[in-house]
Amino acid sequence: MNKLIELKNLTKNFEDQQVLRGINLDIYENEFLTLLGPSGCGKTTTLRIIAGFEEPSDGQVLFNGIEISKVPPYKREVNTVFQKYALFPHMNVFENIAFGLNIKKMDKNVIRQKVERMLKLVGLEGFGSRDVTLLSGGQQQRVAIARALVNEPKVLLLDEPLGALDAKMRKDMQRELKKIQQEVGITFIYVTHDQEEALSMSDTVVVMNDGEIQQIGSPTDIYNEPENRFVASFIGESNIIDGIMIKDYLVEFDGFQFECVDKGFEDNEAIEVVLRPEDLDIVEPDRAKITGTVRSVTFKGVHYEILVETSARTYMIHTTDFAPVGREVGLLFGPEDIHVMCRMGGY
Amino acid sequence: MKHFRKLTYPYILWSALMIAVPLILIALYAFTTSGNEVKTLNFTLDNFAKIIEPTYLNVFWKSVKMGVVTTVICLVVGYPLAYIIARCREEVQGLLILGVTIPTWINMLLRTYAWMNLLADHGIVNNILGKLGLGPLSLMYTDFSVILGMVCNFLPFMIIPIHTSLSKMDHSLIEAAYDLGANPVQTFQKIILKMSMPGVLNGCLMVFLMSISTFVIPKLLGGGQYVLIGNLIESQFISVGDWNFGSAISLLLAAVILIFMKVMKKIDTKEN
Amino acid sequence: MKRLRRFLSRFYMALCFIFFYLPILVTVIYSFNSSKSLTNFTGFSLRWYEDLLSNSEIMSAVYVSVTVALLSTVISTVLGTMTALGLSKSRKFLREYLLNVNNIPILNPDIVSAISLMLLFSSIGMPKGYWTMLLAHISFCTPFVITSVYPKVRSLDPNLANAAMDLGATPFQALTKVILPMIRPGVFAGALLAFTMSFDDFVISYFVSGNGVKNISIIVYNMTKRINPTINALSTIVIVVIVVILLCVNVIPVIRKKKKNTENSYSKHRKRTYIGAAAACLIIVCLVAGIWAAGKGGKKTLYVYNAGEYIDPDLLTQFEDEYDCTVIYDTFESNEMMYTKLSSGERYDVLVPSDYMIERLIREEYLQPIQWDRITNKDGLMSEVMDKSYDPGNVYSVPYFWGTVGILYDTTQVSSEDISQGWDVLMNPKYKGNLYMYDSERDSFMVALKALGYSMNTHNEEEIQKAYDWLIAQRDTMNPVYAGDDVIDNMISGNKALAIVYSGDASYIMSENENMDYYTPGQGTNLWYDAMVITKDCQETELAHQFIDFMLRDDVALANTEYVGYTSVVASAYEAMQETTYAGIGAYVPDIHGANNEIFVYQDTEIKQLFAELWTKVKAQ
Repeated sequence: MNKLIELKNLTKNFEDQQVLRGINLDIYENEFLTLLGPSGCGKTTTLRIIAGFEEPSDGQVLFNGIEISKVPPYKREVNTVFQKYALFPHMNVFENIAFGLNIKKMDKNVIRQKVERMLKLVGLEGFGSRDVTLLSGGQQQRVAIARALVNEPKVLLLDEPLGALDAKMRKDMQRELKKIQQEVGITFIYVTHDQEEALSMSDTVVVMNDGEIQQIGSPTDIYNEPENRFVASFIGESNIIDGIMIKDYLVEFDGFQFECVDKGFEDNEAIEVVLRPEDLDIVEPDRAKITGTVRSVTFKGVHYEILVETSARTYMIHTTDFAPVGREVGLLFGPEDIHVMCRMGGY
Repeated sequence: MKHFRKLTYPYILWSALMIAVPLILIALYAFTTSGNEVKTLNFTLDNFAKIIEPTYLNVFWKSVKMGVVTTVICLVVGYPLAYIIARCREEVQGLLILGVTIPTWINMLLRTYAWMNLLADHGIVNNILGKLGLGPLSLMYTDFSVILGMVCNFLPFMIIPIHTSLSKMDHSLIEAAYDLGANPVQTFQKIILKMSMPGVLNGCLMVFLMSISTFVIPKLLGGGQYVLIGNLIESQFISVGDWNFGSAISLLLAAVILIFMKVMKKIDTKEN
Repeated sequence: MKRLRRFLSRFYMALCFIFFYLPILVTVIYSFNSSKSLTNFTGFSLRWYEDLLSNSEIMSAVYVSVTVALLSTVISTVLGTMTALGLSKSRKFLREYLLNVNNIPILNPDIVSAISLMLLFSSIGMPKGYWTMLLAHISFCTPFVITSVYPKVRSLDPNLANAAMDLGATPFQALTKVILPMIRPGVFAGALLAFTMSFDDFVISYFVSGNGVKNISIIVYNMTKRINPTINALSTIVIVVIVVILLCVNVIPVIRKKKKNTENSYSKHRKRTYIGAAAACLIIVCLVAGIWAAGKGGKKTLYVYNAGEYIDPDLLTQFEDEYDCTVIYDTFESNEMMYTKLSSGERYDVLVPSDYMIERLIREEYLQPIQWDRITNKDGLMSEVMDKSYDPGNVYSVPYFWGTVGILYDTTQVSSEDISQGWDVLMNPKYKGNLYMYDSERDSFMVALKALGYSMNTHNEEEIQKAYDWLIAQRDTMNPVYAGDDVIDNMISGNKALAIVYSGDASYIMSENENMDYYTPGQGTNLWYDAMVITKDCQETELAHQFIDFMLRDDVALANTEYVGYTSVVASAYEAMQETTYAGIGAYVPDIHGANNEIFVYQDTEIKQLFAELWTKVKAQ
């Protein structure tokens, strides 16, 4: 895959506030890349810099190797699907989609053909003359995507496009978006704060916080090997425990030593350990090193969420096995379930 | 769209030149000695000292009094009308409000002039009264004629804000009040009046502001002896030629209005 | 019960609407009245509309009102819309600052805004006229445009402009294709507001215009002094125009909405209508301006500044025709007002002030000497009016009218015994609330000083104080109305028994109402002369002399004195009038023999201010 966009050491200040603190990111052709992070982490700002709505305070944006950070948005080969769609309410569906083509003064017939094709792609055939303000959220979403894609951009930017939809619709649109991306074969840069959305659609997930990139990786990497406490706690639920890396493949926490699969830390380095709730099993107390008392049980549909209080902390466990409140239990996990991360200040 | 930011630049310049500088000039004139030459900058407080003379204080007092009376009358007359309009069907409401608005778009002078003819000692009103065996009443050049002129001109500015806040009110609130055992009077006091308070305050503010500063209505309907602040300012600039004293009065008028608005705003925030 | 309530509320609503529309209705009805009366409808006629169309002063005011309103609407709408658009993207500090500054003209009383602008224009030495009026109108209209557009801009999705640019539109295209269409209702509302505010404005125009430039409001204000049904005709036209515009604005959207449902490609049609409307407006402006320019084109212009209701307007037209020029004719309410305007830098060619003011103007070097050899009709002037103390040898002035101040009384109400009390009748409790004083410090103090037996030119502060006390006492016991020129119509209608009037007004009133008579008290009165003078910076000296000469011509002088009622200074007209229109009307012949009569002389600033202040106090108490 070819590198399409390179962000080099981007920073951005609003008044006295620094919202981006040195972003370095490569984005490849035909990639579905997601910027994931809590609100205010700088993901939308990054997207707007790529779109051209904001200028970086410092750093470079390269597009096919050419610096574009001063190029106005209307001269960039990227298009955006906005958070609340930003459809033009005084135009109907057809006019909205044809807007970009009309600006380029294309032939009327060509425009008609292209718009029809787009309407078909997003499943809105025959909706051309509808008033956009009377469409449902999902339909507006599709119009917004069609309006952007009809211009045949190299990159489609999507700024939390599913945020305004209800849960069921969101699921459907996730699948649809992925399908569209595969059909048109261009790069999607997708901004969301919803980790599930990020993990289920993306080729690459970029986790951001406080203006910095925390981790770049495939969804499985991000989930299974969080590089720090922030990523671990933001992606899924975790038990995060302070510990010490005695040596390679041996870690100590809560007063016990465990075998693990991590290496490359300094001996006796203070680290943090992530134990995903679903990786923990509840067993008889004598079968496990760590034991405790069940404090609460909540039925979550597929599994139970059980809180077990040990002498050191309270663990969260997701399991299909039931254990009544008050029972003494043991917590069992294997070496591959232990994820060791560098300890960071603050988290 | 920072590109649009530049669009404010012309107006920044314009507002400085046509709004800020002129106001500074008023202040400058107010604090300098008389004569139309202000460049010498002979600062003085004489102009303000003059205002404190009982005659001029009296003018201020009378203006405020007229303003308050007009505002109260407008409120008393306008509130029921706004309420009645707000209870009508929606299409009718639009028409009625248009009906209330149209007079305000027609030159105030023309309407005031018409009142002069209506109220003259041998005018239409007295003619009709005469036929009924009443009068003739001396209507022109009295408090009555001035207040009538002000109320006629300013009443719409009371009705419209009140109507706006009344029509925004959710009707289910009234139903809820009845449901909870309030009688119509209580409902009006506790719910309707409360909810329409922003409109009432807004209307009062506008009417008071306009009636305290007008000089045309008292001049035409009140005659030469009817001196309100507006007339005082006008005469200083147009016939007496003491621009400095006139500026001092204007400055004071602006200050009075500013204070009045602050008070109103305070009441408004307290209410909410 | 419910029915009763409904009836009561309907009834109340009807009463309120009658209250709103009664003055408008009366105006419209009486504009079609065949007689001058504003109380009796004597028959349908369009004569006042004809009068209106033939009155060049009114027509030029209509032109000024319309063009100023259109121009200021267009400019303030563009400026305001731009600002509102920019504001939403501005930094918070700047936005707050601008919104606050913007609120000032909206919340400030008109009169304060007006004088602030007046001070601005006079400080930078900009001559008052059309341009100052236009600037002022833009200045007070723009804030209203901003306040009506800004909320619309703020309610826009901030990403709309971004979306347009993202799709390849330049910022300008984004503005015209996306943003403007969306805020159009706000822009329209703002423009409509601006137009009517500008078209209706009086207070600000009154203070910032000058040099003969007047809009409709100023004309109406100047005309309210005397019954003049042309105002009604003018009002009716204005009312019709405003109502039609408002109805269009309120009805067209409804029709369009209906259309929208049936037709789909409406946006193009709409665009076409807007372009059409804009073009039509432009064409109208150009046409009006063109006609105007063609009418004036290249002609010499004479600026004349005279007291209100002090000339037969037909004579101005006649002069324009005979000398192929344009006369810009402006009127003042008092000599003091004229002086204030003159000293604030307004330029006039010919003025018609009174004696004492001429003296002042001569001393302060506002005037240029009259070239008497250019005045061919000088021999017609009566010797009685020449060479008076205010301008010995008539170096600077040519008499215009002359007369006295006296008491006009209703013979059916005031006995000859009472009237022989002279000025003291004004203190006679019998006539409490039944008299008009003249709203002028000079005339009122003259009355008081003469009643007390002092000279009206006194500088003795004690005497002045006593006169002040006399006026206060009169005010408190007699309840007089201080009237201006409106006294004329009021006395013609016989509204009150007594009035202080100028002899010329008295002649006119007496010719209209035979119950009235005029009395000049033996205690003495003001013998006054009004004269034409030419200002120092007069640009059209020749035309100015021609104008003065024209006014002295026998036929012109006769027509003028007949129309106005004041005593002519031209012997032939003076004599002719005594045999015809004003035969037997004593007021027409000024009493020049009264031993106590005086002419006003120039007062220095100090004494003048004392009078002005005391008079303000009399009125304000």
